[in-house]
Amino acid sequence: MSPERREQLRRRYWLWHGLLSAAALMILIGVGNPLQQGGHAPLLLGLGGVALLAELLLVRYPLRHGYTDRGIWMSVSTPIVAAVILLYGWPIGVWLDAGVTFGAGLLTTRLKQSCLHWVWLNTAQSIVCAAGAGAWLPVVLPQLPFTPGLNLALALLGILIAYSLINILLVSITVTLAEGVRLRWVLRESLFDLPRETLPMFLLSLLLMVMLRLYGFIGSLAVLAPYLALRQAFILYTRQHELYHQTIRSLGFLIQRAHPYTGGHLQRVAQWGRKVAERLGLPPERCELVYEAALLHDLGKTVLDERILNKTGKLTPREWAQIQRHPQLGAEILSNVPFLNEIVPWIAYHHERLDGKGYPYGLEGDQIPLEARIIAVVDAFDAMIGGEAPSQQRQYRRALSIEEALEELRRGAGTQFDPQVVMVFEQVVQEWLPLSRIAGGK
Amino acid sequence: MDTFWIGLGVVLGSVGVLGYYAFVFLPAQLHRWRCQSLRAFAKAIELRTQGRYGDTELLAQLALAVSTRLGIEGYERKRLELAIYLRDIGMVGIPYALLNKTTPLSPMEQLTLARHAEIGAAIVEQIPGLSAVAELVRLHHVVYAQHPDAPLSAHLLAALSDFVEIAHHQDYDAALATLRAGAGDRYHPQVVQAIEAELAARPLTSWAPLRRSAALWLGLMVYPLKDLTRLLVELARH
Repeated sequence: MSPERREQLRRRYWLWHGLLSAAALMILIGVGNPLQQGGHAPLLLGLGGVALLAELLLVRYPLRHGYTDRGIWMSVSTPIVAAVILLYGWPIGVWLDAGVTFGAGLLTTRLKQSCLHWVWLNTAQSIVCAAGAGAWLPVVLPQLPFTPGLNLALALLGILIAYSLINILLVSITVTLAEGVRLRWVLRESLFDLPRETLPMFLLSLLLMVMLRLYGFIGSLAVLAPYLALRQAFILYTRQHELYHQTIRSLGFLIQRAHPYTGGHLQRVAQWGRKVAERLGLPPERCELVYEAALLHDLGKTVLDERILNKTGKLTPREWAQIQRHPQLGAEILSNVPFLNEIVPWIAYHHERLDGKGYPYGLEGDQIPLEARIIAVVDAFDAMIGGEAPSQQRQYRRALSIEEALEELRRGAGTQFDPQVVMVFEQVVQEWLPLSRIAGGK
Repeated sequence: MDTFWIGLGVVLGSVGVLGYYAFVFLPAQLHRWRCQSLRAFAKAIELRTQGRYGDTELLAQLALAVSTRLGIEGYERKRLELAIYLRDIGMVGIPYALLNKTTPLSPMEQLTLARHAEIGAAIVEQIPGLSAVAELVRLHHVVYAQHPDAPLSAHLLAALSDFVEIAHHQDYDAALATLRAGAGDRYHPQVVQAIEAELAARPLTSWAPLRRSAALWLGLMVYPLKDLTRLLVELARH
C-alpha cells in the first residue's frame, strides 16, 4: 500500500469515526435518561452486570492470521439487549448496550491491544445498532396479527436480525476503511455467517425473556448456563481452524523431509503467491488459500524416490516421467482432506503451461485455473534464482540472478506463463528486493 | 401455571439444544474432521510404499469393530482412531529403495525398516494436540512377549497391521492363520480372540463392496451439490 493511499484511508476512517460518534451522541441525547420514566434501575444494573460478564467470558480468538480477526462475531450481549428492548423499551436498551460495550471495551483494552478511540467507536456502533433495531418496534408490534406470544417471538427475531444487519454494515465499513479491502468481500463474508449466528442468539434471547418474566432478575442468571455452552462451541470452532492450519503445517513438514528444500523456499513461494493473488484482486479468503496451496504444491514429491529428487546429474527419460507424476500424486493425497478440496486442482495443474506443453495433463490457456498459474510463476522464479535447493542447484541449469530470472519470466510470458501474473509478480519482486538485501538474502 | 410450564419447557429445551450442540455434536464433528485430514498422511504413505503394507481403510474398519469388542472406549478409542492413520508416517524417513524392494530384506535392512515406528513417533510428537498419539505410533509393531503391559490398543494395532499386510500379499485366511499361530507369543491372545470373533460374525468379503458403494453414493451426493453451489455463485457474480 502506498503512503498516499494509506493517508487517504486514514482520513476517511477518521471522517467515518466522527460521523458515527455524532450520530451516537445525538441518539443518546435524544433518548435522555430513560430511568426517570421506568424505575427499573436495580434490575438494569443487574442485567448490565450479567451482560458484562457474558461479554468477558467469551474469549475472542483471531481466527485467520493476516486478515482482520473475524471478531465480527456478534457481540455476545446482543441477546440480552434484544430482550431488554422488547420488555422495557428501546431507550433503555440503547443505554444498556452502550454501557456494556464501553465497560467491556475498557476492561479489555490491554487484552485486545485496542485504544480508547477504538472502544468509543465500538460503543457508538452499538448505540446506533440498538436504536436502529428497536426504534421501529412501537410502530410495528401492535400491528402484528398473531397471538401475543408469537408476536413477541417474531418481534424478538426482527430485533436480532435488524441489530445484526446494521452491525454488520457498520463493522464492515469500519474494517474496509481501516484495512483498505473491498467492502463487498467483507460484507459477503459476514452475511454468510449471519443465519448460523442468529439462531443461538434467538434461543438465548427467548430464554432470557421468559426467565425475566417468570422469575425476575434471579431468572436472568440462568442465561449464563447456555452462555457457557455457547462459549464452548466457539472455542471448538476456533479449534477447527487451528486443526486446519495444523494439518497444513504438518503436511509442510512432510514435504521438507522428503525433499531437501531450503527452509525458505516453500515459505517464499507461499508468501509471494499470496501477494500476487492479492494484487490480482482475488478475495482475501482466496488469497489465503493460494498461500496454503503454494505451501503444499510439491506434496506429491513425498511419494517419489528421493534418489531421483536429489540427483544432480541429468535425468533419464524414465526418471523424468517419475518426476512428472508429482502434481497428480499431490492432488491424490490432498483429495482425502475434505476442507482442502478447493486447492486440489491448483496443485494438480501447477506445472501446466499456457501453450499446452506442460505436464501432466497438457492443459491450455483458460483451462488452467488462475491460482495454478500463479503458483507456476512463483515456483519457477524461486527455482531459477536457486532458492529451491542452493546447495546442489537444479540439475539442468545454474542459478540465475534476480534480473536474469525476471527476464526469463518475461520471455516465457504468453507461452509458458500467464503474462498478467508475470507482470504483477514483477512488481511484487521489486518491492521484496530491498528487503531481501537488508536481510542479507540473495 | 400454564405460562410456568411453557416457560420451563422453553428453558429446558434451549439449554438442551445448545448443550447438545456444544458438548456432543461439535466435538464429534471435530474428531471426524481430524480423522479425515489424517487420511491424507495415510494416503501419502500408501502411495510411497505402493500399498504393500496393507489397506489402511480396511484396517480402520476392522480396528473400530474389534475395539468395541475389547471394550476400548472414549478417549482411548479416539486415540486409536488417530493412530490408525498415522502409524506408518515414519515411512517417509525410510529410503525409497528399501521400502519398495521386491526381494526379501536382509536382517540389517529389516532393522532399518523397523525404525519407522520410532521415526513416526518422533514426527507425531512434534504436532501439538497429537502428542498423545505418538505412544501408539511407537508401539504399533509391539511384540506381546516383550511388552505384555503395553496398551491394549497398541496390541490391537500391531496385530491388525500384520493382518492387513499379509492379507495384501496373500489372503485373509493366511493372515488369520498367522495371527492364530502367534497368539500369546507375538500377539496379545485376547486381541486375536476378538479379531477371530469379529471375523466369524462378519466375514471380510462382505465389507469391501459395501465401503465402495458408500463412497460412491457419498461422492454422487456431494459433488453435484458442490458444483451447483459453485455455479450459483458464479452466476451471481456476473
